[in-house]
Amino acid sequence: MSKLCFVTTGATAPFTALIEAILSRPSLDALLECHVTHAFVQYGTAKDVYETSAKAAREYLRQQGKETQLEIDGMDFDSSGLREQFKLVQDTKGLVVSHAGSGSILEALRFQVPLIVVPNTVLLDNHQEELAMAMDRQNYLIHGNISNLAPAIKASEEFRNKMSQFPPVTAGKERQTKSFARIMDETVGFTDFNNE
Amino acid sequence: MLPACPALYTTTFLLATLATLLVAATLRLLTILPHTRSTPPPPRRRPGTLTRVLIVLGSGGHTHEMLALLRDLDPRRYTHRTWVVSSGDAFSASRAVAFETALAEKASRDTGEGKEEAGRWHVGPQYYTVVEIPRARRVHQSLLTTPVSAVHTLLRSLTLLYRSEGLPDLILTNGPGTACIVVLAVLVLKFFDLRGAQSRGKCKTVYVESFARVRGLSFSGKLVGRFVDRLVVQWEGLEGVSGGRAEYWGVLV
Repeated sequence: MSKLCFVTTGATAPFTALIEAILSRPSLDALLECHVTHAFVQYGTAKDVYETSAKAAREYLRQQGKETQLEIDGMDFDSSGLREQFKLVQDTKGLVVSHAGSGSILEALRFQVPLIVVPNTVLLDNHQEELAMAMDRQNYLIHGNISNLAPAIKASEEFRNKMSQFPPVTAGKERQTKSFARIMDETVGFTDFNNE
Repeated sequence: MLPACPALYTTTFLLATLATLLVAATLRLLTILPHTRSTPPPPRRRPGTLTRVLIVLGSGGHTHEMLALLRDLDPRRYTHRTWVVSSGDAFSASRAVAFETALAEKASRDTGEGKEEAGRWHVGPQYYTVVEIPRARRVHQSLLTTPVSAVHTLLRSLTLLYRSEGLPDLILTNGPGTACIVVLAVLVLKFFDLRGAQSRGKCKTVYVESFARVRGLSFSGKLVGRFVDRLVVQWEGLEGVSGGRAEYWGVLV
């Protein structure tokens, strides 16, 4: 049975440290432990980094005689979005490892798959870290550490059973929620809401 | 009694004029700026009324969030859409076109059920435009030249709004620097009530802070927070920031 681990590093600024981290020996061991059969890396513009790391990773697997257990593959960038990959992860009960861009996070969460988010610590703006931490606290995702990714990978299996649903279900709570369409409508004066 | 020195007379006159203008401008600004959260609701708008919405798209993340916000956009209500992208941002432009194509497909699947009350689907090339405006500040652009390019952006935004077929009824922004300039251009229109921007209640601005902002507003959010009609945040902890103006209605993206 196959199981996919999809890694996305973002389209704009290449996050090479994440490529190296996921293809590092401790991470590969953790992936094997979780019975992942395919690691698929979206590497963006950092093709050279990916190829070097993938070569070393395959070599490491070969030394252990496990090259058939874990296949490593990659792609640069898919302009049609990442839905197809997330769907595959969902179908194979796999996991997603992502940079902390809110777009990828939101997209992945809607597929209800274990998601490990790794903030890029090189970026000066620390709001990526804040978002990952806040969402980790609420059990939406796992906040992964770039220098030590293996524990997060190992935790992903258990996490699958306890992860919170996203977007949060607010019905029954006292808080009133609105859709953005409703906010637009009331701003311009469409006050009949028989569509809802 | 006239002052003895004509030069003094001129200076006093000038100062008095400036002071008067300053007071007048302040009063005008106070009139056009949205005051509190409890502004009176706009007059009821009938479905089928021509309604223009202008959407400012930004770089990757902002564009993605904006399109997620608009996932339930109803082209029977928002009959004309203007997508504003920064010059050279082909990605956002193509996403906007893809969004419109999806709307048209949705319309063709519509069975016609309840058509009378919901109105006609306004989809297709004649109902939307994608326009480019120059970037307010390019990545790595020197801070010295930024004001120059910002003014350029402002002028382009003003002409875009002023020369458009009709003023937008609603303007949606979510954070790219260019969006701040568009908001500023709206203020200018409202200040001078150009094309009735103020008196006809046009150009209502909504700023949605990024979902990525958990603990504080972004720089853009802080800048425009006081000047937009509605400031919407997506984390409960941010409710009420910007002088009590920030609204929280749950995760919207």
